[in-house]
Amino acid sequence: MRVTEQQLWNWMVAGLGGDALAHRQLLAALLPMLRAFFRKRLPGQGDDIEDLVQEVLIAVHTRRVTYDPNRPFSGWMFGIARYKLADHFRARGRHVTIEGLEDILVAEGFEEAAIARADVGRLLGLIPAKQAAAIRATRIEGLSTAEAAQAQGIGESDVKVSVHRGLKALTARITGGRP
Amino acid sequence: MNNEALIEMLAAGVKPVPRRDFAQRFGAGLGLGLMACLLLVALALGFRPDLGWAVQHHTFWVKLGYCASIALLATLAAARLARPDAGALGWLLWLAVPVCALAALAMFDLAHAAPDQTRALWLGASWKMCSGLVFLLSLPVFGGLLLGLRWLAPTRLRAAGAVAGLAAGAWAASLYCLHCPETAAPFVLVWYSLGILLATGLGALLGPRLLRW
Repeated sequence: MRVTEQQLWNWMVAGLGGDALAHRQLLAALLPMLRAFFRKRLPGQGDDIEDLVQEVLIAVHTRRVTYDPNRPFSGWMFGIARYKLADHFRARGRHVTIEGLEDILVAEGFEEAAIARADVGRLLGLIPAKQAAAIRATRIEGLSTAEAAQAQGIGESDVKVSVHRGLKALTARITGGRP
Repeated sequence: MNNEALIEMLAAGVKPVPRRDFAQRFGAGLGLGLMACLLLVALALGFRPDLGWAVQHHTFWVKLGYCASIALLATLAAARLARPDAGALGWLLWLAVPVCALAALAMFDLAHAAPDQTRALWLGASWKMCSGLVFLLSLPVFGGLLLGLRWLAPTRLRAAGAVAGLAAGAWAASLYCLHCPETAAPFVLVWYSLGILLATGLGALLGPRLLRW
């Protein structure tokens, strides 16, 4: 059963007033919410998820003086959860995966091309030169497959395969092997 | 420990948390820092001997008003950033009001000064010391604010550190007014602000390290 914001707020405010039962109900209700929150962002990292859930529960308890009852409860609680998640990434020196990177690379427009180009250039350095050249020609410079094939002196199907493999390799590089 | 046991343990010793606790924790740190800063001004630098005369003139209050208004805004921002749901801080743009007002006053003074006086308006007699002293005086206030913030729950650590530094610098500059005999608006605009900015930079630098929880 999904607990409403109003119910969470009621428990929180009662807990702040010293009601231990309400406080326990609040923490128990947060347990599945926090598990879902972290599971979605750290797929397949069960131990880390449980550690983070506990850290947030403890923070909700020990730092509840920072909750202002005039403001929404979930905003405050998820503010803590997001902070603990960011701290988790920072501590492990990992980077948050870019969601849908393949879509970004494939996108027709490249709206923020000016900003992205430096990053894309660096990324293309990570994959074989032939694949990088094919991606650069067809996806960045905007040549057709035929034009790219002619420019590089290879077949059209060769260009298509290189683009496909190159994008796949890039995605794998960036997501650390996960699809 | 499993989660159920943890929840039982946390819920076991629940005490009421009055709403004034937040202000008390934040204020305790700030109060300690301000006391230390005031003591330093009084004992290490000394109040300006003509303080009784100075408070009857608007230049003293312009200077103090500039520093104190920045200090108040930055302190409010630091208190907001002590909460996980700090929200938007666009209202900090109000900081432009004291800065622009003092800049306008400085322009006016410079426009009406004799050519051989402008140098004195910019540099006064103590420009070499002013920024450094404001920065040094800000350290105890900054420490006090950090203490308060560490008891609370900031989540944007660099921003929290920066506004704590800004507040500390501006409070220190406010108290430094009790010592410093300079009165020219251009002087205050440059050298006081530089000291305050140094403190802000230090806060932004140290925030992510010292405020982690």
